[in-house]
Amino acid sequence: MAAAGPLVLRRVVAAARSRAVLPIPTCGILTRARPRPRGPLPRTPWTTRGPPPEVLAQTVERRPVREQVELDTITYAGRQHYLPGLARPRFPPWDRGWHDPWHSPGPRYEEMPLYKERGCYVCHQGVRMLEGVRQAQWLTKTKLVAGLPPPVLSILDNPAHQLQDCEEGVKRAISHARFWDTTEAAPKRERYCPTLFEDLIHLCRLMSMKYPSLTKRMLARNYKIAAAWERESILLQVRGLNGILMNSVSPIPPVASKEEILATEEHVLETFYPIAPTIDLQEVNVYEELNDTGFRDSYPYPHPHTLFFLESANNRPKRFRPEQLRAKMLMFAFGNALAKAKALYGNDPKVLEQPVVVQSIGTDGQLFQFMVFQLNTTDLVSNDGIKNLVWIDSDQNLYEAAQCLPEVKKRVVTKPAGIYGFQPDTFKKFLALYLHGAV
Amino acid sequence: MAAFRGWRLLWPGRCWFSQTESAVPQQAPDSLYPPIVASATAKSKAAKRRRLEHFHQRVHAAASIEEKLRLYGQLQRPKYTVYPQTFALNADRWYQSFTKTVFVPGLPPRAVLEAAKAPEGAAGVAPEAANAPEPGAAAPGASKTPEPAAEAAALLDMGELRSLACDALLQESFYQKKKRPFLYCDQDHTPGPFLTQLVSTLAAALCSRNPLLAASSLDLKPEVNYYWHHGEEVIVHGHRKGRVDPVRFQIDDNPHLQIRVPKQLPQIVPLESDLGEVPVIDHKPSKLPLFKRQYENKVFIGSKVADPCCYGHTQFHLIPDKLKRERLLRVNLGDQIEVVNRANGIASLFAWTAAQAMYQGFWNEADVTRPFVSQAVVTDGKYFAFFCYQLNTLALTAETIQNNPRKNICWGTESKPLYDVVEDGNVKGFNDEILLQLVRFLLNRPKEL
Repeated sequence: MAAAGPLVLRRVVAAARSRAVLPIPTCGILTRARPRPRGPLPRTPWTTRGPPPEVLAQTVERRPVREQVELDTITYAGRQHYLPGLARPRFPPWDRGWHDPWHSPGPRYEEMPLYKERGCYVCHQGVRMLEGVRQAQWLTKTKLVAGLPPPVLSILDNPAHQLQDCEEGVKRAISHARFWDTTEAAPKRERYCPTLFEDLIHLCRLMSMKYPSLTKRMLARNYKIAAAWERESILLQVRGLNGILMNSVSPIPPVASKEEILATEEHVLETFYPIAPTIDLQEVNVYEELNDTGFRDSYPYPHPHTLFFLESANNRPKRFRPEQLRAKMLMFAFGNALAKAKALYGNDPKVLEQPVVVQSIGTDGQLFQFMVFQLNTTDLVSNDGIKNLVWIDSDQNLYEAAQCLPEVKKRVVTKPAGIYGFQPDTFKKFLALYLHGAV
Repeated sequence: MAAFRGWRLLWPGRCWFSQTESAVPQQAPDSLYPPIVASATAKSKAAKRRRLEHFHQRVHAAASIEEKLRLYGQLQRPKYTVYPQTFALNADRWYQSFTKTVFVPGLPPRAVLEAAKAPEGAAGVAPEAANAPEPGAAAPGASKTPEPAAEAAALLDMGELRSLACDALLQESFYQKKKRPFLYCDQDHTPGPFLTQLVSTLAAALCSRNPLLAASSLDLKPEVNYYWHHGEEVIVHGHRKGRVDPVRFQIDDNPHLQIRVPKQLPQIVPLESDLGEVPVIDHKPSKLPLFKRQYENKVFIGSKVADPCCYGHTQFHLIPDKLKRERLLRVNLGDQIEVVNRANGIASLFAWTAAQAMYQGFWNEADVTRPFVSQAVVTDGKYFAFFCYQLNTLALTAETIQNNPRKNICWGTESKPLYDVVEDGNVKGFNDEILLQLVRFLLNRPKEL
């Protein structure tokens, strides 16, 4: 429509010029002045790095209009009652005059004894990292290797290390946890996830018949870890309750060979610009740089062996996604290893001759994540040098589905009750990680 | 559908009009007339008896155990809720009368099998597999005397088990850095985790000697429920006033830990033994105090009927903060400390063994043909009391108890401390006897294993 074209153009141009004068009719799609940008921002130096400092200096900090016009100067405070034309006064906060412990706001952050100017980023059990394992790798200076390490795989393949009637026992454990443990029709995840874990650990403990050194293990629940380190002028900490820790008398021997450890020097850590690596971590100004394994020095089971994480929240949003769970596992395995290394070898950053190995298993009752972490160095400030190593075997299903009640469609049983898609390999890996270090 | 509805209407205690006949008794083949039986719907004692008979036949003829349990607990009425862990004074005698239990102080003389494997390291004269009653004080097993090779392998290493127990205790009370316990939550701070650790490590260490433990199932904080009738009462108020009703009880128990096994423990004494008298209490149960509520009638051993581990082995109970020794001593109820333990043992074990019996198809009209045995340990973290229970009869209702000479039997000990005090990473005054008794409990198994 030739007539409509210039008509529209004129209208737009006229609207742009006269916007300050005439009110634009807001109805209809033809009256929009300029379309909103819908795609990603064009990546110019200004959008990524901000305007240059000379332009920044020129823009003046604009005061709000009410202040400029001095609208709030005259208030009805002096008149002691509301008057329609005058402004609302702002009174100073009332001071009690004496310290009432039941009504006191507490000390401010700046007045607390542990206040520091430099902020510290804390990773606790509720932290869900945006970039997942990549972010955890950068923070802990770690190189990722997919799959489980060769010593664990050799335990897996060795038939002497298998449980007798392993499959029957595991199926019974799954049925007990998923079907039989409750008076209701089906137990909730808060019930079946810990029950499944307990049953699997009970099965693994039966292996102590063959290997008596397996009795030298102790589970610890509700313990708190504290580890602090610096990464490229960022202070980082790992704190708080994390999971169930299995301690053992003897440490796990190093999993990677010397050549592999030296080869990590060439590896470059992945960054994910423009996202900062401290995203999702809690920044605090009141902190103490503490390195604490959670146990006293003379503990008879000094070496952390495996950390277990159970995602047992009933609601899906409250559970960690697999990627976030793997990141949490890596951070806390690193925290435990670092605290132990600093307890053994002191606080000076150095490359460890005897690397510290900590394993980690995370599950939500069905999906298992296996991880073996080896701490090679406590020198984490720079990005170069020897890095730590982690082997991750992710998303191993123990079973596809567990049907508590048979699915009936139109009075015909379409899906009978039972366990579907059982994979015995997942339990074999669980057992292999349990036996690692003792066989 | 009409036939189905009519079946359900013939319920004891409900005078509904039914459209169909109930199951008629078999008639003699030479009789031309149908058998003369009482009416099924009239308001008469004979009709009520007939309805009751019909109900009993339905339960006897139930297709599966789940169906039987469902029918058994289908009718809901107000019932007394019996709490195993209770502050009521002299509750153990009351519970004995509710469950027709004889309490025998001390534990039963153990069978030969465990005695031969007992750890008497210094008792080199222990004969080979004879009925050797162990000496009361267990000698410390740190020094093992040279035994014949056959026995050496079977000897328990008491020192190792003691070190496991001490490690568990020290980890929870000393080595792990914990904050102060929250108000009234002392039991969850140290004794609870200690008990869990102790039992799991001991069970794992002993499973080589007891193959039953290798096939067992360990439950943490399971639920055990049992519902039964005992005695009769006249209803005092309400629309059913004046009628004679059975007295209903329900136990809902939450032990701290329990071990279930696929094979039953052997009987301790024969089924018809009489080891004492059941206390008779002439008051109504509400005088204990016990209170009535109406809710679902549950019978549960800790897992459903489909679980292969359907027999019980050992339960572990933790005394809550409200019933701690210090609190009872503070209000001058020192003699009630043992009563608390005994009441807990009797009620919990009765509920567990009776629920196990119901899982096998027995109920008060079909009494047990073999005794059901289970064990329990009641502790508050430091003091341990051991209980054994043998269920000989489920027939506790007013009709079935009349000609029933059998009684359930509970053996129990007084509570003794496992250690004196934990100081600076050392356990002072560790009592080996208690550990030995615990180990004996865990090693208990049927004779053929």
